[in-house]
Amino acid sequence: MKKSLLLVLGLFLLGGLFLPVAAPAAQTLKVGIVDTYTGPATAFTLDVLDGFKLAADKINAKGGVLGKKIEYLTRDDKFKPDIGLNMAKELVLKGEVDVLMGTINSATALAISDFAKAEKVPFFVTFSKSDKINMQKGHRYVFMMTEHTEMAGRAAADALAKKPYLKYWIAGDDYEYGHSIANGVWKHLQKLNPKVKLVGETWWKVGEADFTPYITQILAAKPDFVIVATGGSGMVNFQKAAKATGFKVPFYQHTAIETSTLAPQGKNAPVGVYGTANYLFYYPNSPENKAFVEEFNKAYKRYPKVGALYGYMTANFIAEGFKKAGKIDKEKFVDGIEGMSIASPVGSLAIRACDHQLELPMYFGVTRPDPKYDFLTAGDIQVVPAKDYMPTCDEVKAARK
Amino acid sequence: MDAVWAVFSQKVLSQILIGLSRTTILFIVSSGMSLILGVLRIPNVAHGSLYMIGAFLAYSVSRIFGGGAQGFWMALLLAPLGVALLSLIAERLLFQHLYKREHLMLLLLTFALSLILGDLTKLVWGAEYKSVPVPQVFQGFVTIFSGFTLPLYNLFLLAVGPVAAVLLWLFVNKTKMGKISRAAAVDREMVGAVGINVSLVFAVVFVIGCLLAGLGGVLVAPTVSVTLGMDHTLIMEAFLIVIMGGLGNIWGALIGALIFGLSQSLGIMIWPQFGIIFPYLAVVIVLMIKPTGLLKSTW
Amino acid sequence: MNKGFSLGVWGAGIAALAALFLLPAFLPRFYVYLISLMFVYGLLATSLNVVLGYGGVFQFHHCVFYGLGGYATALFLTKTGAPFFVSFLAGGFAAAVLSFVMGLITVRLSKLYFGMLQISLGSLVWAIVYRWYSFTGGDDGIHGISLPDVISSQKGAYYFTLIVTLVSLFIIYRIIKSPFGSVLQGIRENPARSGMIGINVKKHILTALVIGGFFGGVAGALFVVVDKTVFPDMLFWTLSLEVLIMCLIGGWFNFFGPMLGAAVVIALRTFVSGYTVYWALVYGIVMIFVIFFLPNGVLGYLQQKFKPTKGRAVAKEG
Repeated sequence: MKKSLLLVLGLFLLGGLFLPVAAPAAQTLKVGIVDTYTGPATAFTLDVLDGFKLAADKINAKGGVLGKKIEYLTRDDKFKPDIGLNMAKELVLKGEVDVLMGTINSATALAISDFAKAEKVPFFVTFSKSDKINMQKGHRYVFMMTEHTEMAGRAAADALAKKPYLKYWIAGDDYEYGHSIANGVWKHLQKLNPKVKLVGETWWKVGEADFTPYITQILAAKPDFVIVATGGSGMVNFQKAAKATGFKVPFYQHTAIETSTLAPQGKNAPVGVYGTANYLFYYPNSPENKAFVEEFNKAYKRYPKVGALYGYMTANFIAEGFKKAGKIDKEKFVDGIEGMSIASPVGSLAIRACDHQLELPMYFGVTRPDPKYDFLTAGDIQVVPAKDYMPTCDEVKAARK
Repeated sequence: MDAVWAVFSQKVLSQILIGLSRTTILFIVSSGMSLILGVLRIPNVAHGSLYMIGAFLAYSVSRIFGGGAQGFWMALLLAPLGVALLSLIAERLLFQHLYKREHLMLLLLTFALSLILGDLTKLVWGAEYKSVPVPQVFQGFVTIFSGFTLPLYNLFLLAVGPVAAVLLWLFVNKTKMGKISRAAAVDREMVGAVGINVSLVFAVVFVIGCLLAGLGGVLVAPTVSVTLGMDHTLIMEAFLIVIMGGLGNIWGALIGALIFGLSQSLGIMIWPQFGIIFPYLAVVIVLMIKPTGLLKSTW
Repeated sequence: MNKGFSLGVWGAGIAALAALFLLPAFLPRFYVYLISLMFVYGLLATSLNVVLGYGGVFQFHHCVFYGLGGYATALFLTKTGAPFFVSFLAGGFAAAVLSFVMGLITVRLSKLYFGMLQISLGSLVWAIVYRWYSFTGGDDGIHGISLPDVISSQKGAYYFTLIVTLVSLFIIYRIIKSPFGSVLQGIRENPARSGMIGINVKKHILTALVIGGFFGGVAGALFVVVDKTVFPDMLFWTLSLEVLIMCLIGGWFNFFGPMLGAAVVIALRTFVSGYTVYWALVYGIVMIFVIFFLPNGVLGYLQQKFKPTKGRAVAKEG
């Protein structure tokens, strides 16, 4: 036992030889990206990365930010909050990144946001949609570059309240985002249309691949309409199962009309699904949007999906923020980008000062076949401008108490 | 009252049918694992990875043959063979050297293999999920009662199950190789003593077991998204089914798969939130009553 | 054979302890965090080894106790107003209770059947924790757990973890070296014979299970201190296999083997992830290497290499 003790100590000391020497002053602006690059969520997250790269490459070509090139490091969190938090810690404590970015899993985003707050590192949330992120748990260092569930809920409820459905069923992925979006929609729907009734709920495990047993149970209750609260992993799976079982009840999913959800299914996606989305490459057909689509298509040989917009805008805001601050100072950066507006493919977008929310427009529509493409697109599109569905600054303040 | 009973029994019946179609895939995969466990005494942790590779291969093969119906049938034929080849390589290269070592080492080797295969899958196919379309002939659904539909593909699975069971029974009981494997499971030394190449027997059994895993993967592919991570969920279920059924007993695997598939879909009906607990509960109860599993095990 | 430690070993030991205590002063914060993790997993692996290496029990799902300990502590901290020490100890005790209950059910079985029933029971516990969203947070886990200021910083957490780990290791060591430990190893070698000379085999194994479970739970509580989070994967059986591997790599016939194994795995995991996303691939290859060439773990291999030399040196002096 004594020999082994010595051996262990010896090995520990040997290991110490591998400790790095202090790093020289950074020559680049380091952005740490924690996101899910494994599994079904990749359909959404790769676009965030590519949109980011598109903008960052352009900025670097013009000389970078304050003479420094944007350098980004990616880490795969496999849709698991513990891995994501671990990666964020590694990026900040070891990699010494200036800014954090990511992720698509809301629980991961909340965990990383906690950490970013303690470390005072700006964290741009690029796909997670739980409203807790910048409402209840919002703080100075977290920025929401995507819509959140409270917002989506209002937009969807607005549209649904005008429809004749009364008996509702809620079903979804049993995690932060799932509950959040379901709450968001239902809360506002009840307010706008007090006649609606909730006849039941079903929550399946995250990443559930086989919905058939759940679907039969939902159909047995004969609701008029189903609010399906699936996240990145479950979107396509549910639509596939709906198609396979001939799910006749109309349903709504947030992001159901997004290209990320519809493109992978080709012509087999279900028709008549209601959904909301922040970006559609074919609408509006403005010159800015067309230019963006062309640029993206040339670089990555595919149409940009909503993630591309989030990533693209994040890169631009990071660049402009540090440029305005005049140096790589995180505090000045945060002060600088509050209220800042930047041009985007869908018009000028601002980051609201009180909750660091990117003010994106929302589109509500229905899936339908489209002769121009190999996949379904959205029809009957209604546009909801940001101010019509964002919570007021007072509401945000009240939530943070 | 009658109407309520009618609705209730319809609900139950449709859940049962769905549970049964799941059983097919669980049975095919678990029987493979049971075979390997019974004869080689290896709990094959890599079984889930081979199942996953079966699904990914199905995707690739189906794409090569233009997707659609032809793609699916070619995948059904070729993907399991691909998995079998892969397992043969692993067996000859790694496993056969360890047969004389403790079981724990073999278990850990299969775990190591599952890690490697998992990442290899990511390397080869990338991280995005893949979609294998349901062949035309099975697209659509059949209406059992008013409002209760069953996808045609699930009907197909329901039919495949018994066919697979019969084929396996024939193999194990009627073919020479099957009989030798059964003997080797009980007493490998004796089998070696009568001049049979035990190592070869092991290789054949291992490959067939893995082929079954791959076959399960192909069959499940059109119903779900083919993604990384498929291996983890399945290996747990397969392992528990095999334990519940009795190590090395194929019929045990069938009963285990039945219990597992049914308890899950009925569980979802009874208590949706904790539906997935029912199979685990079933396993625990079975093992507490009969620790060696429901049917006679070969250990 | 010397009964106590020689002066040289004492000196080296004290130097090492001093080094461990001084590390946070000159190491970057990330490494302090990393080494804290090594202590946590090291303690976890050592607690497994009590049952597996010294007891010979097929403890296939040890992480149930680790995860439950972590969750118990986390839930106490977030849902009750109990003082920190109560919450911390709750982890170890909850795990001890679970291992006692599970042990009662499983101890009548042997070897593989024990392992399989434990996996089933453990998976049941995992499934309940995983699906009880309203209580445990389900797949999200629990994050941002608040700790007393003293241990809330990276350094504070490090010292707390270091001290608890050292104390735990000491207690475990004493147990192994005690008559109980000898009996346990005797049971591992030959359970039938042990039974025949009047030893209550089942009672001893059950006690070992509770001890292993308790310290596994303590490791779980320590994880809460280091990471301020818990998540369902802590109870998932693949983590149990990983801890088994830590014991394998370090060497399980050796008290410090599991600690070394844990350190190696964590170091590998962190540094390899920096270079490639295919960490699992590397891990698998390393495992195969160890299985084929280092079946007694790194320490076992090194011990075999150095033993003959020592003998020769003594002979020369003599």
